[in-house]
Amino acid sequence: MPDTRAAVTQPVRFRGGGFLATRHRWAALAAFALLLAVWEGVSRLGLVSTLFLPPPSAVGRALGAIAADGSLALHLKASLLRIGVGWLMGTLAGIAVGFAMGIAPVARAVGVPLVSALFPIPKIALLPLFILWFGIGEPSKFATIGFGVFFPTVIATYSAIDAVPRNLIRMAQSFDLPWRDILRKIVLPGAMPGILAGFRITASIALILVVAAEMIGAEYGIGAFVLTAGNLMQTDQLLAGVLVLSLLGLGIGTLLSYVERRLLRWR
Amino acid sequence: MKFVWTAVVGAVLAWALPAAAQEKTSIGVLALSSSGPVYIAKAKGYFAREGLDVDLKIFTSAQQVPVAVASGDVDFGVTGLTAGYYNLAAKGAVTMIAAQSRDEPGYPLSAYVATKAAHDAGLSKPADLKGRRIAITTVGSTFHYMLGILGQKYGFTVKDLTMVPLQDVPKMVAAFKGGQVDAMVAPVTVARQVVADGAGTIVGWAGDETPWQLGALFTAPKMIAGRRDVVVRFIRAYQTATAEYHAAFNARDAQGKPVKGPNHDELLGIIAEATKQKPEIVAEGLPYVDPQGRLMVNDIHNQVKFWQSEGQVDKALDPAGILDLSFVQGHTGVPK
Repeated sequence: MPDTRAAVTQPVRFRGGGFLATRHRWAALAAFALLLAVWEGVSRLGLVSTLFLPPPSAVGRALGAIAADGSLALHLKASLLRIGVGWLMGTLAGIAVGFAMGIAPVARAVGVPLVSALFPIPKIALLPLFILWFGIGEPSKFATIGFGVFFPTVIATYSAIDAVPRNLIRMAQSFDLPWRDILRKIVLPGAMPGILAGFRITASIALILVVAAEMIGAEYGIGAFVLTAGNLMQTDQLLAGVLVLSLLGLGIGTLLSYVERRLLRWR
Repeated sequence: MKFVWTAVVGAVLAWALPAAAQEKTSIGVLALSSSGPVYIAKAKGYFAREGLDVDLKIFTSAQQVPVAVASGDVDFGVTGLTAGYYNLAAKGAVTMIAAQSRDEPGYPLSAYVATKAAHDAGLSKPADLKGRRIAITTVGSTFHYMLGILGQKYGFTVKDLTMVPLQDVPKMVAAFKGGQVDAMVAPVTVARQVVADGAGTIVGWAGDETPWQLGALFTAPKMIAGRRDVVVRFIRAYQTATAEYHAAFNARDAQGKPVKGPNHDELLGIIAEATKQKPEIVAEGLPYVDPQGRLMVNDIHNQVKFWQSEGQVDKALDPAGILDLSFVQGHTGVPK
């Protein structure tokens, strides 16, 4: 008996596709170029005063000028040192405390309310105190960034440890793995994605706080440069400084993506 | 009862009718006694007498006032002169038309204060500030300029000392008290406070060393072009108030001691209310204000030249182009 079902089969329109993360590199670039063109255009046509919104060409010239006279390198060096040291101090201390809170219930009982109480304090409001405690040299700038980075790291770390699947730990325990190995081989790698996600946030916080930190008697630094440009109403230089800050953010983000790929290879 | 209503309606009409006929304008001010004449002109009805309904917009930093005039949020502004002001003026956003306060010999307004340690180590007069670490608010601030003209007087430049910019006065005081700097330039009330705390010594006054035009009244060029009569009436009312302020607060006896002038307590009350400070605190820090709002024009030129030499204001800026000297008669030191 011949199969008659084939005869009634109707061609069906393909309904899949879409919703796929295909790569459109040029789209982002084109959108960016269009934005810059419109920005330059409204300024050239005199629709917006150059005082209120300097055109990209003026910002580029300002950036070129500080790059050419070598001051950009000095600003970057000073700021990167502050961001690096401050972030590292805050991160190391934050991971240590976060780990303690993640594995020791007593530490958590003490830590959670403390973090809740201290995290929301605006670091900028504490600057006069930081000056009295740490002086106006580098330590107060490290401290401003370090404090800002510390609390989010604590929160990211102990939440990440919380999220490590219990059954993995139970299994290790039933295989009689030593406590140290459970920490090193299960808890730490398991918590790593959460901790690294925290890094993305704290790296941005460090960039934001470098401007606050450099309010304290800084001669060089991107933050000091932005503040001075603002005080002098040099809006083109102000935007040039802001551009450097966001490029720094982009650079650090790329670096973190690389670190994530390396450290999370086990996934 | 009917009589009461008639009276009320009459009073409301009497109040509302002239108000309706008044032209609206606005001024950006700081809540400081240096803006005293503006508060006096408002409180005593001198603006109203000129047919102006002036809205006082209070700002918290000198930086914001010329920006607000440039953006058209307020018609006039009155505040201290900074490099930022001249950069706005260079772009044609603001024009200076009359004086506010100034540092004048015999009138304590801006002090050079040495820490106890630096004073013990020999910092005893303003000329000794050379080579020291000095706290200021920001690069381009009035404090920065005061150190610049002090150097012009004693033959050094700001490069011969270390300026430590700390953004605002509380941070300056913190660095000062913590011994992080040798000295600071501070407003009189702050200077007196650290002396009272035993943290420092006043070694001199900017007014005695280098008299200069600290603040000014300014407006947007398009106000002068489009609403010139408002500017004229505004300045007339302002001058009435500066004259009254000057007579009440700036009178001195033969020994140079302050003498209470006419309406002293009434005007002090107006300023105390506007600045939300106790009258006795206000009385300590009342700056010198020219009775007719005349500018020290040569100092304005010097300010522009100084900021240009510091590389903070465009070299192409001609100081004469950002001044309109036609509203007030008798400005001093006008270059030929």
